[in-house]
Amino acid sequence: MFQQEKEGGPMRHGGSVLAPDEVLAVHYAREFYGRRQESVRLWVVRRADIHDLTDPDLLAPPMDRSFKKPGGYVMRDKLAAAREAAGQEKPKARAK
Amino acid sequence: MTDPLSLDPVLPPRERSRLPFNEDLPHDERHGHFVAHVQAGGKIEATDWMPDEYRTAVLRFVEMHANSELMGVLPEREWIMRAPTLRRKLALTSKVQDEVGHAQLLYRVAEDLGKPREAMINDLLDGKTKFHNVFHYPTRTWADIGVIAWLVDAAAIVAQQALRESSYAPYARTMRKICWEESVHIMHGRDVVVTMVTGTDGQRAMIQEALDRWWGPLMQMHGPRSDRAKDRDIFWRIKAKTSEELRQEFLSIYVPRVRELGLSLPDPELRHDEAEDVWRYTEPDWDELRTVVTNHGPKSQERLDFRRTNWDATRWVRDTILDPRTDG
Repeated sequence: MFQQEKEGGPMRHGGSVLAPDEVLAVHYAREFYGRRQESVRLWVVRRADIHDLTDPDLLAPPMDRSFKKPGGYVMRDKLAAAREAAGQEKPKARAK
Repeated sequence: MTDPLSLDPVLPPRERSRLPFNEDLPHDERHGHFVAHVQAGGKIEATDWMPDEYRTAVLRFVEMHANSELMGVLPEREWIMRAPTLRRKLALTSKVQDEVGHAQLLYRVAEDLGKPREAMINDLLDGKTKFHNVFHYPTRTWADIGVIAWLVDAAAIVAQQALRESSYAPYARTMRKICWEESVHIMHGRDVVVTMVTGTDGQRAMIQEALDRWWGPLMQMHGPRSDRAKDRDIFWRIKAKTSEELRQEFLSIYVPRVRELGLSLPDPELRHDEAEDVWRYTEPDWDELRTVVTNHGPKSQERLDFRRTNWDATRWVRDTILDPRTDG
């Protein structure tokens, strides 16, 4: 569900509704997102009809050259996920 | 690009340090002073007097290192056009550029010891000088790229960290710069491995398969055990640690990090002997090492051929730039 606050403004994602068909979806959207005259327009879109793009190569190509710096390789969460999947503990810090 | 620290201008003899071996004394006395100096932790610069054995030993050491950096880019270079994402492609390209830069830094250090760069390249291409075993093997999948950038670079950095206090100061300074740059390469490699290990079953299996293939060459990489008392490179303080010390250090740091990911290593004997505080392992195949480093490895000739073709194809550039008739 997307709403437009004022004439000429952008459509903003406001939330979602669960409904058995499109007609009821529009009614529900009005109840939740239009009851207090807070929107001048609503779009109700089936989730499956939304095309999602998150590829970092396209949206955030590393032209900051972060791949050349230590800061470009923060692995803490990935390592924790790998350890958990493997049922392993973090290796102890070495004595020297 | 600013010159790295190791490229100090070569000093004329009158500006040499006033160390005793630089004085005009009989050879044996100079030799004695020199040995005492390096064994006490003293450093040597390019313009200092050096015994021939020292000069030759440093040159051989640095030359093999330079050769390895130059040849070492070729396995990874094969995957630049096949990298799975733009970020990985850029990181891999950057790594390859860094390694060629390291080769150039090291040939520069070696040249000041008296061997022209052209001679070093020709000896490499003629098979007269060597490069490290790991760069003679094929890369079969993208997983190889992760394993190489992580563990091969790690094994190299264990050796290189120990060289940062080499008695030959120009080499030691270069090693400090190289070690910093290699540390980012290792992060890149580890990131590739961890990403695949937490990916699909197929990606995980690919990493395990690559690890199974690369473990043998990795265990051979630091070389056979040598007797510390007889090791001339240690005598001259060119290097500080023996092959076995480096291998043990590598195993101590990296075996836990590999196992942490739930990966296995293909050596059933590999374990840490808690009582003796030493890693036990199946004896590496030293015959394989010998065969490979004498340029009979699976990819040795193909990669040397690539370099030969490249050297010939770029001759016109060198001839033009180095032509004494042009103004430079």
